[in-house]
Amino acid sequence: MLESAFFWLFGGLAVAASLGVILSRNTMHSVMWLILCFFNAAGLFFLLDAEFLGIILILIYVGAVMVLFMFVVMMLEVNEAVKREGWLQYLPVGGMIAVILFIELVAASTSGLFGSEQMAMAAHMGADVNNTVEIGKELYTRYLLGFEIAAIILLVALIGAIVLTLRERKDAKYQNISKQVHVRKEDRLRKVSM
Amino acid sequence: MAEVVFPFPFPENLELILPEIILAVMGMVVLLMSVFLSVSRQNIVAGVSIATVIAVGASVLYVSGSDASTTFYGYFVLDPFAVYAKLLIAIATVFAMMLSLNYVKDEANVGEYYTIMLFASLGMMLMVSATNFVTMYLGLELMALSVYVLVGYQRDVLRSTEAALKYFILGALSSCMLLYGLTFLYGSTGSFIFTEMGDIISNSGEDQRLAVLTGMLFVLAGLSFKVSVAPFHMWTPDAYEGAPTPITAFMSVAPKVAGLVVFMRILVDVFPGLQAEYTTILMFLAVLSMAVGNIAAIAQRNIKRMLAYSTIGHIGFILLGLIAGSNDGYAGILIYMTIYLFMTMGVFAIIIMMRRDEIQGELLDDFAGLSRVRPGYALAMGLLMFSMAGIPFLGGFWAKYAVFIAVIEADHIILATLGVLFSAIGAFYYIRIVKYMYFDEERVSFNFAKSAPLQVIVVLTTLVIVAIGIYPEPVMAMCRLALAGLV
Repeated sequence: MLESAFFWLFGGLAVAASLGVILSRNTMHSVMWLILCFFNAAGLFFLLDAEFLGIILILIYVGAVMVLFMFVVMMLEVNEAVKREGWLQYLPVGGMIAVILFIELVAASTSGLFGSEQMAMAAHMGADVNNTVEIGKELYTRYLLGFEIAAIILLVALIGAIVLTLRERKDAKYQNISKQVHVRKEDRLRKVSM
Repeated sequence: MAEVVFPFPFPENLELILPEIILAVMGMVVLLMSVFLSVSRQNIVAGVSIATVIAVGASVLYVSGSDASTTFYGYFVLDPFAVYAKLLIAIATVFAMMLSLNYVKDEANVGEYYTIMLFASLGMMLMVSATNFVTMYLGLELMALSVYVLVGYQRDVLRSTEAALKYFILGALSSCMLLYGLTFLYGSTGSFIFTEMGDIISNSGEDQRLAVLTGMLFVLAGLSFKVSVAPFHMWTPDAYEGAPTPITAFMSVAPKVAGLVVFMRILVDVFPGLQAEYTTILMFLAVLSMAVGNIAAIAQRNIKRMLAYSTIGHIGFILLGLIAGSNDGYAGILIYMTIYLFMTMGVFAIIIMMRRDEIQGELLDDFAGLSRVRPGYALAMGLLMFSMAGIPFLGGFWAKYAVFIAVIEADHIILATLGVLFSAIGAFYYIRIVKYMYFDEERVSFNFAKSAPLQVIVVLTTLVIVAIGIYPEPVMAMCRLALAGLV
């Protein structure tokens, strides 16, 4: 009883926060709503006995990814007036895609396949099941290959970001230390006969 | 500390993944080498990269003799099908790196360029060996991310940056569609493994049909984006035109091979129960691709854009093999991709050589009168163009022949007729280049880049195309043998 109350609380807040993300005009507010949404999603994970995933969600998404989002939003300087320009022009195509997706979602979710009678109620695991250990076992055995590929994807992202953005500035004044050390008296001093 | 008992033993048959290990390690070695080498000696990096890919090709052949075929608890497979695809990817990568030798030597960050190319081919090799959607998707993203960076590599060229951005955004969108489709498939089967999903989908009842169909639709759309099937081809012309030319050559062959191999594996393993449905969708896609590719190419003045549409057209023909759904059809796809690889690499080698005063000769007009200045290159280009058009007794003819015969055997006569029709329309713009080269007065002065690797590629690819054209049996037999892993 208490559990389902919490489910409705977290689920409802998550949906409301998601609406806030797409409806708020100020991009910074959207980011804030998204943080609220992530907190509630983490709450849902806790209800499913997945404490590890819940904490990871808060640590990584709220702690790192959203902070990055905020930096990006602050650097982008989105112009509100320009953003809303021409939305009528995109409405037919965008609206059509949205309607199709909505119909598909409703059709698929009412097909009975994802109904609660199909899925047995997730039973709570005993206190002796440590889900950090369970995730670790799966991740580093069965999914080891995927884990390694993900690591290489991150490496490529890192190299790519640096290659595409790092610029050596031509106008910056650098110290050439070797040149400074090897300078001789003759280079700097000149005898002038008066 | 709790005693942890691993539920699985250490992965067996790890030697099967040797080619990928070599690629990953050497990618990082090349990255470090370029840091320690002076600017004037960066060409060593290129040499090491090419040697690495050749070694990878050799190691693929070496491990293909192994008795085992899966490793990583069955999540990685090396069957004859994957071996053949990996060899094609390795050949395409070596060619693209040889094309790059002259092209990027004046660019900054040469080392990173080759590193990212190595990682791109690593992604493709993992894709073709994937037996489940997790490995497949990660390989796909590794490939895609690398190619985005390569497309935008000339960051001071506006065209290159624009192409990379367009490609990135549409590529991200296609990944979203693929993943969205996967959630439906996972929701209804509870598995990520191709064959397990295939069994469950084949035996599923009517109530699951809608969810599975929706999932399949999105997965097909996502994959179609990656291999530029119309109507998901919008990024192709811009990305091809803006990318550095060796990368255009690379991305018009290697990712297509990997993408189509995954396409075939997924259709055969995951959706055998929905063959009627996916055939209908593919027929629509194939006809549209053939039409868009062959008709829109006529209007192009830039040869890279023209080849982009030509790729879309070729992919349309290749889809005919998937529609046939028979062994002959799948073998036809492999034959088509093999021959397409050599044709495309040869054409791009000639395009890269056509530099005049540091400007890339990319317009069709630049080819006017080529036969009088450089009869050798004009002959090679002419042969490659005739081959692309599918003129008999050149390689390209047998490629089209293989898929057309397969689709006729499968009783899709109308589709085969349409294919021949569009092939005839396509012949117009290929042969137009021959007309420019042989019958028009020269309009610009040619200044060919002198580069031995480029000349080797031109000669080699032209010889291969002529040889396959005269004597196609060995290649065809090889492709049929390679199907052993698929069906």
